[in-house]
Amino acid sequence: MLILVGSNHRSAPIEVRERMSFPIERLPEALTRLRAIDGVAEGMILSTCNRVEVLAWVVIEPASGIDSIQRFLAEVHRLSLPEIDRYTYQLVGTDAARHLFAVACGLDSMILGEPQILGQVKQAYRAAAEQGTLGPTLDRLLQTCLQTAKRVRTETGIARHAVSVAFAAVELGRQIFGELAGREALVLGAGKMGDLVARHLAAHGVRSVAFASRTYTNAVLHAERVGGRAVPWEEGVAKVGQVDVVVSCTGAAHQVLSKADVVRAMRGRKRGPLLLIDIAVPRDIDPRVNEIDDVYLYDIDGLQNLVASNLEERRNAAEEAKRLVVREVQAFERWRLSQEITPVIVALREGLLALGQHEIERFRGRFGEIDAKQLQVVEELTRAVIQKILHRPLRHLHGAVERGDVAECTALYRQIFALSETAASDRASGAPPDEAAPPGPNRVIRGGRDGS
Amino acid sequence: MTANLFLPVSVIGYVVAIFTATLRTVYRAEGARRATSVLLIVTWLAHCGAVVQQGLRIGRVPLTTGAEYLLVLGWVVLSLHLFLWFRANVEVSGLVLPPLAGVLCFAAMQLLGVHPARPDAPADGWFLLHTTISTIGMATLCVAFAMSVLYLIQDRALKAKRTLALLGRLPSLGRADQLGHRALVVGFVLLTIGILAGVIVTAEDAERPIEVGAKQILPVLAWIVFAIVLGARALLGFRGRKSAYLTIAGFVLGLATVVGMTL
Repeated sequence: MLILVGSNHRSAPIEVRERMSFPIERLPEALTRLRAIDGVAEGMILSTCNRVEVLAWVVIEPASGIDSIQRFLAEVHRLSLPEIDRYTYQLVGTDAARHLFAVACGLDSMILGEPQILGQVKQAYRAAAEQGTLGPTLDRLLQTCLQTAKRVRTETGIARHAVSVAFAAVELGRQIFGELAGREALVLGAGKMGDLVARHLAAHGVRSVAFASRTYTNAVLHAERVGGRAVPWEEGVAKVGQVDVVVSCTGAAHQVLSKADVVRAMRGRKRGPLLLIDIAVPRDIDPRVNEIDDVYLYDIDGLQNLVASNLEERRNAAEEAKRLVVREVQAFERWRLSQEITPVIVALREGLLALGQHEIERFRGRFGEIDAKQLQVVEELTRAVIQKILHRPLRHLHGAVERGDVAECTALYRQIFALSETAASDRASGAPPDEAAPPGPNRVIRGGRDGS
Repeated sequence: MTANLFLPVSVIGYVVAIFTATLRTVYRAEGARRATSVLLIVTWLAHCGAVVQQGLRIGRVPLTTGAEYLLVLGWVVLSLHLFLWFRANVEVSGLVLPPLAGVLCFAAMQLLGVHPARPDAPADGWFLLHTTISTIGMATLCVAFAMSVLYLIQDRALKAKRTLALLGRLPSLGRADQLGHRALVVGFVLLTIGILAGVIVTAEDAERPIEVGAKQILPVLAWIVFAIVLGARALLGFRGRKSAYLTIAGFVLGLATVVGMTL
């Protein structure tokens, strides 16, 4: 049975999440300890700044598995069991799988649809694979999960647009210039937001960023911090027509760029359009500047409106993504259930074939003189009869996946045909079925502020 | 006279493809994108079939009448759109170029029956060069026109601070400007060659009096407008909205020549 014990930004405060995190260098040891827990057949640990989640495939009662993992977390992080219980959520079966998929798709992230989490899930998967703590079930689950997350990113709009003011400025730049590579930017003022936008622009290929502040030392300070160059204030204002993007974030009480200034700057300009980002309050740039041909002015409200509409689009895309996740989790669940019936099918077929062979041997003396070819015919006949007899029961067993009564069905077959559970499990490639578990999806929520 | 069965198939193909392209642009539906690509390829084949059938029927390159010119022009416009889409990844030109190609195809279908083929038209030499180069040049200018239209829509959306979701459906200003400029340069060169070849064709025909009408003046006016756009860009860095408006104006003059030719 699949279980997940985790703690995230909704269930635990940062102080607890800090204590519960697994530094990358301690992850191999933690994985080995996790796998060593009685009843844990496979395991993986996902540890990021916003969440710690332990995913395990257990061959014991889910509740016992959860207790064991909570004890493991308490021991590793030197926290008390009540603390662990209070700050973690526990999910079982389909709920655990669905949660994992939602996490990988960014649906459970603090910023809906943020892309880093997919890389972190991949990293956790690799770490577990290298440590040998993955088996067929978790391996299949994680591969399906990663594929689904990729589909969600490409097929829905969950990650299509920026949801921060700084990144929205970069997207605007892209909408105007196509590529930002080789472009030049100018930051007027010494605000933190200006630094952030400049950093984003530089990270997206802007060739040079110049900083101009009325206090030259401030410009130098910001230029050093971001990796640009400082210019005197007058030179900066005069440069407006010679750059592609201007970010203004001064604390001035009056406008620093009038419409006439920008008209002058655009005269004889050969660079193409000019993007002006005014993130100062009160505004640094005359709003009428937007009326000038090939000049695009966005103030803080304009940028925030873009972010708000993008968030709305992400929320709509999230609904689509959730539907995709549900479909993929159902497909995984069908595969997992089919793995549970495989040992029964193998045992049933092998048992009856062995029985047939035994009976052939028993009656062989009564056949009289028969040659090898005749014996082969008898064996083939026996096999054919067995296959015919098995046809309907096996079809019924396969149908259990769709009907949702795999546990009852496999138990019944074992009882009727007196099948050995261990023999079947040994032959099956998947994890052994948990006969004691109740059928269908199960969910255990104990503690945690929010287990969703 | 055998009816050109490919023409109605092409027109139906255009109508359905334009519908799916609109769905694709508005709802970003992946299925609509796939459907549009398949429909446009099928339409391109049908349109190609119509051109070939017309050529077989008259026994020469089908550029002897205005109707044939529209037929071939529409096919080249669609070819350029498919090239833009699959090579330059500019899908949104599907909102301008296939409708234009569809209108040209429909007009050709209506006019082919009205305009009799001209077996007396010169079949080779300067006339063929004039008609072929002018057709390809005009189709390339259709691309410049489409990019100018998309540029202006994007410009307006940016000025009005529309959502990034809407802006993202259109090519960036830089991309539209770059593609439009390239198309304009190629179209201008072809238009120049086409006009010169036309002058030679007229000069060669000693029996024919020299005509000076809209058919002769409009392409020269279009040529002047395009020369201004390109010259101002090269010398003064002239680009952006004004350049887009002038390109559209030049294209309208070129289109007026085409319309005048068919009347």
